[in-house]
Amino acid sequence: MKLPILILIALILGQSRIIAAEAGMPQLNPEYWLSQSFWLIIIFITLYALIAKFFIPKIKLSIGDRERKIKDDLDEANKLKKISEDKIKEYEKLILENKKKLMKISNDTKKKLDLDIQKKKKAIESQIQNELDKAQIEIDNFKKGSLASIEQVAEDIASKVVEDLTNEKLNQSSVKAIVSSTSKKRIGSLL
Amino acid sequence: MAANPMVQFNVYRVGPEIKFGNIDLSFTNSSLFMLISASIITLFLYLSTKNKRLVPGKIQLISELLYNFVAKMISDTAGSKAKPYFPFIFSLFVFILVCNMVGMLPYSFTVTSHIIVTLVMALFIFIAVTIIGFLKHGLKYLSIFVPSGVPVVLLPLITIIEIISYLSRPVSLSVRLFANMMAGHTMLKVFGGFVISLGLVGGWLPLSFSVALTGLEILVAFLQAYVFAILTCIYLNDALNLHH
Repeated sequence: MKLPILILIALILGQSRIIAAEAGMPQLNPEYWLSQSFWLIIIFITLYALIAKFFIPKIKLSIGDRERKIKDDLDEANKLKKISEDKIKEYEKLILENKKKLMKISNDTKKKLDLDIQKKKKAIESQIQNELDKAQIEIDNFKKGSLASIEQVAEDIASKVVEDLTNEKLNQSSVKAIVSSTSKKRIGSLL
Repeated sequence: MAANPMVQFNVYRVGPEIKFGNIDLSFTNSSLFMLISASIITLFLYLSTKNKRLVPGKIQLISELLYNFVAKMISDTAGSKAKPYFPFIFSLFVFILVCNMVGMLPYSFTVTSHIIVTLVMALFIFIAVTIIGFLKHGLKYLSIFVPSGVPVVLLPLITIIEIISYLSRPVSLSVRLFANMMAGHTMLKVFGGFVISLGLVGGWLPLSFSVALTGLEILVAFLQAYVFAILTCIYLNDALNLHH
């Protein structure tokens, strides 16, 4: 640390010229000190004024603009995101509501259809029952009718057969009585 | 070829002699290189701010990086109160940086290797900071010499030390920059001289050393500008936010 000490001594004692000569340092030659200080002050003040008045505000503006732009863009993006999220929520709500509606409609329709089917089934069943009943009555009537005609036919055949075998005319009422008793015995079991 | 490595620091008149009575204000090579440095800065800043674009070009990016670098340095060391002094610190940093860098060019002159130049800057900062301190805090600013939490017995001693350290600020600030610049450039010159004197046979070693030193000097040129600016910020911080 010899150098600073030397300089300090030079400054304090004002004998810089001597020391400069000894150390061979042009820095300690005071010949142009005032000139250097003067031009330094002039040039630095000019530079400072230029930088402070023109360049710094410009750079600041440019950086500020960029930051503002980024901020605005981010804000815009967030806003849009929020809007889209809201829309999604709305959409999901809509879907849910419609699902419920759909379920209700399908349930209602099913019930209605079931009811309708039940009604129609009943109607058809009763119709079928009617038809069946009618058919049964017809069958019964037919059976009764056919039984009477059978007896008649049996009587005719029996009297005819007996006539052919015996060449005798039978009493009509006795034949009828026999056929009737036999048919009651036999056909009754069939009916 | 100048054999004396100190010859590079010679100041001589460029152009006509300007004299007011006994006072010589002639334009010298030192003034010329100050002007060149200032012109480089102005040209650079002009080009970088000419076309303001949202997506910066290369030169605009450099100026904005520089801006942010200095802005961060100030806010880190001196806080938000130092904002009005931003243009000054910015100018100071850029001016010293470019002067140092211009000085790295062969045959150029290093403005900051002269004690008077650095002393004027340091004294200006010292006086300005002191005035700011008194303006902001009045006589309370004197409490900067009385650190809190010091035993009463030690207080007189500490106060004296604090006063000495405060008063030596301009000296340390100016000598640090000047000595670094001068020592580096002298060393480069000495090694350059070795290259010549040892010639083709042995000159390679000092030459390679010289190359390495040049890299180091570029680092020092940046570092000293940074140190000068950051110390200014720290002094400003003491004046603005009385911490002690």
